[in-house]
Amino acid sequence: MVRLIRAELRKLLGLPTAWVGLVLGTLMAPVVVLLNAPYTRRAIAAGTLTDTPDLGLRDLGIGLIGPVILGVIVVSSEYTSTGEDAPGARQLTATLTAAPDRLRLLAAKTTALVLVVAAQAAITAAATLTLTKVLYAEHAPAPAPTRVVAAILYWVLTALLAYAIALITRNGIVPLTLLILNSTVVSVSYLLTKVTDLAAYLPDIAGAHMFIRSADFPVEIAPVTAGLVMTAWVVALLAVGAVLFHRRDA
Amino acid sequence: MITIDRVSKTKGRTQILYDVTFEARPGQVTGFLGPNGAGKTSTLRILLGLDRPQRGTALVCGRPYRELDRPLTTVGALLDGSGAHRARTARAHLRWVAASNGLPDSRVDEVLEVVGLTGDALKRAGRFSLGMSRRLGLATALLGDPEVLVLDEPVNGLDPAGIRWMREFLRDSAEQGRTVLLSSHLMGELAEIADDVIVIDKGRIVIQGRLADVIGDHRTLEDAFFALTATEAGGAW
Repeated sequence: MVRLIRAELRKLLGLPTAWVGLVLGTLMAPVVVLLNAPYTRRAIAAGTLTDTPDLGLRDLGIGLIGPVILGVIVVSSEYTSTGEDAPGARQLTATLTAAPDRLRLLAAKTTALVLVVAAQAAITAAATLTLTKVLYAEHAPAPAPTRVVAAILYWVLTALLAYAIALITRNGIVPLTLLILNSTVVSVSYLLTKVTDLAAYLPDIAGAHMFIRSADFPVEIAPVTAGLVMTAWVVALLAVGAVLFHRRDA
Repeated sequence: MITIDRVSKTKGRTQILYDVTFEARPGQVTGFLGPNGAGKTSTLRILLGLDRPQRGTALVCGRPYRELDRPLTTVGALLDGSGAHRARTARAHLRWVAASNGLPDSRVDEVLEVVGLTGDALKRAGRFSLGMSRRLGLATALLGDPEVLVLDEPVNGLDPAGIRWMREFLRDSAEQGRTVLLSSHLMGELAEIADDVIVIDKGRIVIQGRLADVIGDHRTLEDAFFALTATEAGGAW
């Protein structure tokens, strides 16, 4: 098992796209904090910014593009054609001949992804919170450690969500479009919460309750419940993905 | 030793393999011959645990491929393409494959040397020519120094020097006691290197045996093949 995890780490970190996800995901949040600094300072001075305890943690969300990219390419890189000469040939053939026990392989892939994203999230959270501290000093009280851990967990679960969807769709386009649009341009899940309160239990909305307090969510969900809701989504989608991966011809 | 026993496979509504049964023995080059679409690749994919048959068993050294713990130390496989993601260098590809089976990184340089890709080790697989891709695929197959080699159309895309090299390589492998199973639609090519021949057509094995016995009274393996499969010479092939 350790062998397979090592191989999956080498595979993931050997992909240029993975580094796009790592760099983008790690830098976006701190950069946004910097760009927003003049505006936020004025808002604090004017007393219009009321949710200062969430400063920093809130800005982490923009970096989620990183874990989404990482989660998707762990799977999609297996299915992309390896060249024009052999359009049907994919890395998956090499992967499965090297590791034919599919569930063990998936366990190794999942572990490698979790390790990489957790490290990325920890670094990003540390950078963003330190920056917030430097910029706003006493206006930005350090969040409780449990909330920081919850934010890291949110990143890991988001990566696993992208990974599970890619496992089901067997390509990167669907989950990338869905999750990147949803986390950056227009949050469809957020709009849905305006239509029905049930949408509050969609994985990305519920998950955010784990570490953000003062948001205008229609339904209040306790942090632990929120974590459980998002975990349930991820586990359910992963189970479907794993069953399909186990059954399908490669 | 490879044992394929009554393997049948249906894809969608079409049955593509009917009770395929044969053996490939150690120390022999076994040629798996048939036209494109006859079921060669499907059989090899089932043997390697990539696809599942509806019925029958495919064993390598007495065990299903999926149950092998470090499969690359038992079986080396070369299928379509190199298996390397196009953004990866040859070296990076071989390094993760080596890690997955607990093989030392030093094996990577050794197999690159064997297939003559040492100078291209840091080139991305997406920039490889067809011939180089085949060599990289073969390097991957050799990483674990396996006792069984399974190769699907190994000479496809190779230049004459590459074909000659591959032929000698496979002969040497068999002489060292390895089991070598290779598929091909090139009858002349197979007649050059195979000890045993298995002929498949439309998903069914039509004949198998020693090369000389399969050729029988016919002039060449090609004549024997067309006589056995009753395919018009010059027809769709």
